[in-house]
Amino acid sequence: MSANDPSDTILFAERPEWADLTPVSQYENIQPLAPIFYKPEYKDATDYFRGVVKIGEMSPRVLALTETIIRLNPAHYSAWQYRYQTLLATNSSLSAELELTNELTKAYIKTYQVWHHRRLLLTKLNDPVPELAFIEDALTLDAKNYHTWSYRQWLLAHYDRAEMWAGELPFVERLLEEDVRNNSAWHHRFFVVFERGAEAGEDIVKRELAFAKEKIALAPNNNSAWNYLRGVLDHSHVPYASQTAFVKLYVSASAPQTGTDEVVDLENPLPAQGAELPCAAAIEFLADIYEAEGKAGLSRAVPLWKSLGDEHDTIRKKYWEYRIREATAAAQTS
Amino acid sequence: MSSDEHKLLTSLHVQYIQNLGASKADLTYHLTAHLRMNAIYWGLVALCVMNHKDALDKDEMIEYIMTCWDEEAGGFGAHPGHDAHIHSTLSAIQVLTIHDALDRVDIPRVTDYILSLQQPSGVFAGDSFGEVDTRFLYIAVNALSLLGQLDRLDKDKTVTYIRQCKNFDGGFGNVAGAESHAGQVFVCTAALAILDRLDVVDIPTLGWWLAERQLPSGGLNGRPEKLEDVCYSFWVLSSMSILNKLTWIDSEKLTKFILSAQDPEGGGIADRPGDMVDVFHTIFGVAGLSLTGYPGLDDIDPVYCMPASVIEKKGLRKGWKALPRRTA
Repeated sequence: MSANDPSDTILFAERPEWADLTPVSQYENIQPLAPIFYKPEYKDATDYFRGVVKIGEMSPRVLALTETIIRLNPAHYSAWQYRYQTLLATNSSLSAELELTNELTKAYIKTYQVWHHRRLLLTKLNDPVPELAFIEDALTLDAKNYHTWSYRQWLLAHYDRAEMWAGELPFVERLLEEDVRNNSAWHHRFFVVFERGAEAGEDIVKRELAFAKEKIALAPNNNSAWNYLRGVLDHSHVPYASQTAFVKLYVSASAPQTGTDEVVDLENPLPAQGAELPCAAAIEFLADIYEAEGKAGLSRAVPLWKSLGDEHDTIRKKYWEYRIREATAAAQTS
Repeated sequence: MSSDEHKLLTSLHVQYIQNLGASKADLTYHLTAHLRMNAIYWGLVALCVMNHKDALDKDEMIEYIMTCWDEEAGGFGAHPGHDAHIHSTLSAIQVLTIHDALDRVDIPRVTDYILSLQQPSGVFAGDSFGEVDTRFLYIAVNALSLLGQLDRLDKDKTVTYIRQCKNFDGGFGNVAGAESHAGQVFVCTAALAILDRLDVVDIPTLGWWLAERQLPSGGLNGRPEKLEDVCYSFWVLSSMSILNKLTWIDSEKLTKFILSAQDPEGGGIADRPGDMVDVFHTIFGVAGLSLTGYPGLDDIDPVYCMPASVIEKKGLRKGWKALPRRTA
């Protein structure tokens, strides 16, 4: 147990080294509307915090105090703020602080403040490479944690070092190996491949299309993979119709599935054994292909939309009815 | 499922909100000082939507808010003695607006405070700590709009940043490069609505992405392959309302889901059936129900998340569409 762990519970009011400080209570002459009922340790620590802030003290003991508060209430943004200012004012070791923050990050992984504190430390320490391993480790606790992923994206973009970007595709692949439905990982892949600034060439587009389709084949009912496929096509201005042969494999309940002795067609990988077919996202995709043909394709798109509304995606029935109405109206005016 | 779960337990929820001060158990878990101001706003709007605005004392509320004024910064903190933060500043402004008491605010100073938080990139920080997020951008735009000070904002710079947050799936993230998330979609869409810049949105793609949030249970999630949560009933629904696509979800199933997350004994609504209630999920559950036309509720403005009548009176209503109010 660290000295600042609240479960050790020696109240600050009982510590002789704090005797010189006047604590400030929360409710001074105020009758609160919805009073907060605190644990005694929290009230004690925050009373002393208010006392410290009142006189503007920034000393090593303030670090102990703010750590106690953070461990009791990791969302106390003023405590984090004041702690950071105190670290700078006391010339404290920021790498030691980062060590401590590693523990706090994992303990309070869902709070905004702990990640922002990390950002501030990194901005001073400028040693971003080890962070990548730390982030991957943090993701084992919560693979879709929004702050964690956003932090990684910030790190990559802010430092923009080739050696950091270089490991990202294998990293994403590791995460998708764990869970092919991890939308954060799919998003990150798009960020890494297409949002680095340089335009992605034709072979990269080809590679990404193959990757998306390989994963769709593995688990067809995965919206993230289909959204990714669409995203790649949209971004590189490749028509959806280019994927017709592939999509058709997923539209029928009796489509062929991968056997062990078949040659894998990278352009049109077959659905994995036991995949649930037909796949609603594939039906939708095929309907979009037909719709893009204009009036001619309408007679093939409408039954697909109807099958979605009536059978394969009934919860969005009104949306599919809307698609039929819109496309029909557009065909009449064209 | 008991018969209770088929209707909104309004009087229980009103009591729940009124008792937020008296009941110790839920409060310590769900509310901490840094959320106090927000909690008051959530509670008040929930009461307004349930037609019980007077269930909390207006003068007490206003006086409390004024004790949260941070004279040094020129904004409102979450709690007396707390540093100003953009989020508590907005909540204070919203509550004072609902109570027709904006005259208590030093508008030029608050405007200066809010504008001081805009970064060179166009995004806003939440406070001097520097955390940036499109949530704070929306908060700034909303607050400035309510204060009648929107013309002091560099709108192009603000919209440019939102545009950078647009992803390949049509959604928006919390910063440029971040994953699409329904909460962030709401704040970006609503900010664009206030700024009359919905042209930035790829409406068919985003509308579909939002519709895709509905799960077989009827509940909505915040991004693909995540769990449904009652609060998305607001983030997703309000976005769809702003884009005029509310008809794309199954509102009957969603209604059932929200109602099943009520606490039939103590009142309040939870994130999903069986979990502990809190005022955050109570307001967003009730607001979602209002947008889908649930009978007996008052209209909510999805752009500002405030009573529609208040926003209309200020001449700030935008072109959003809710589902018609059912009579039974």
